[in-house]
Amino acid sequence: MRHHPAQSARTGSTRLSEWLRSGPLPGLLPLVVLLVVWELRGTSDSPFFPAPSSWWPALFRRGQGDTILPAVADTVRTFGFGLAAATILGVALGLSVGASKRVGRAAGPTFEFARALPPAAIVPVATLLLGFDETMKVVVVVLAAIWPILLNTSSAVRGLNPTLLETARSLRLSKTRTLFGVLLPSVTPSVILGIRVATPVALVITLLVEYLTAVNGLGALVGDAQRTFQPARVYALIVIAGLLSLIVNAAVRLIEDGVMRRRVGDLR
Amino acid sequence: MGRFDGLLPRLNWLGVFVMVALAAMWELVVSFEVAALRFLPAPSEIARAAHGEIFEGELVGRTIHTVGVTLLGWGVAAVVGLALGLALGLSPKAYQYSMTSFEVTRAIPPITLVPAALLIFGFSLKMELVLVIFGGVWPILVNTIGGIRSIKPELRDVATMLRLSRIGTVRKLVLPAALPSIVVGLRLALSLCLVLAIVAEIVGNPAGLGNGLISARQSLQPPIMFVYVVAAGLLGVALNAALGLGVRLLLPGGHTLRESP
Repeated sequence: MRHHPAQSARTGSTRLSEWLRSGPLPGLLPLVVLLVVWELRGTSDSPFFPAPSSWWPALFRRGQGDTILPAVADTVRTFGFGLAAATILGVALGLSVGASKRVGRAAGPTFEFARALPPAAIVPVATLLLGFDETMKVVVVVLAAIWPILLNTSSAVRGLNPTLLETARSLRLSKTRTLFGVLLPSVTPSVILGIRVATPVALVITLLVEYLTAVNGLGALVGDAQRTFQPARVYALIVIAGLLSLIVNAAVRLIEDGVMRRRVGDLR
Repeated sequence: MGRFDGLLPRLNWLGVFVMVALAAMWELVVSFEVAALRFLPAPSEIARAAHGEIFEGELVGRTIHTVGVTLLGWGVAAVVGLALGLALGLSPKAYQYSMTSFEVTRAIPPITLVPAALLIFGFSLKMELVLVIFGGVWPILVNTIGGIRSIKPELRDVATMLRLSRIGTVRKLVLPAALPSIVVGLRLALSLCLVLAIVAEIVGNPAGLGNGLISARQSLQPPIMFVYVVAAGLLGVALNAALGLGVRLLLPGGHTLRESP
């Protein structure tokens, strides 16, 4: 957006209309057109494309309304635990893999293979070995979401300026102080980048596990609506999942921006 | 690839040794019943099951199915994603009047669309393909747009100076400049397409590796199930390696397949 000196003198309403014109809103046009056409062409009982106006009521039909919030809570919990565990494990493993060339080579093929395993293929194994419960859900999420964090951490460690560690050594910092005072702060931006990439992965895999195993959560709810042939309810839940994903990504971004800003403040 | 000194092009003996050692430990753990994991088959059992699945079972046919659907879906997604990405990347007007719609649609986790696709297309190949294409389009689209929009304005001045036609500008300047970003998108899309194909095969289309996996799970044959898990993993590695090799052969400009946000 351009900023003219004259702009500040303008009234609020012109600024609003300016924002309406050049902000993100015009970009919604195709989606709105699609939904309007869908609404006009569709009926509420269509087996494939029920009209959008019938989606919201379908959430509450037959007293199913009070299942939504607990399901969202279950999904968010698994996602949160999974992402947190993936971050801790990913940073720990990434540091050790990145710090030593030999460890990196030793773990390489194993990691490469584990990373290539499609999460959907892990789910049946996980249910067989761990059963249908919360732990199984989190384990699958961690196995899928750990890679961006691990890879970013290890390559950040590998790319560190050697002077940094030599300085720590010449200052005779203890191992713990080197880790927390030198290593971790300098890889933080890369870790944050990894978390940003891992966030949507963790959410999608959470929903995937829930859909495949029907343990609990939003994914299980969508699967149930499909198996009981309630298309309007399926679409409503898809919208909720989309909103959840937008909110979660925005929230993670906010937290990261906060961390980065504090970091910049520390360095000053 | 490359970050971990992957399997290709040089063989990493230390890494292979670690994998073999892990498998041997696994074998020992299972045969001495150290852990209370009732359903964990030993690697030797899995190897026997793999032998059976390859020579008498359907492993080969199922792999071909999954590879075929993944590549076909990925190809269609590449065409759609590149075309849309070019349009949105080159025309600020098109970008302004549609990008938010794409951002919102992209936010929908593809897995939640599986139920809708199942309702619309039934348990069919069509359903699998639609899902694979939908999932694959986004990374390609986003990376194409990003690649084009981050081109330096100076490059456009060069085009004006050289009096390149519009098509000439796209072909000679825009595409080459955006290529590294597009390649990253293609790579991300390929692994996504494989994942979605397997999901679709597990819940919908009764064919391919996903179906082999879930049939073995349902008939409680863990060794065969592990065969399919390993096959899926190896397929992922192979597809990634093939893409890396293809990029290195086709684009000798030293484009690395870096992972990027």
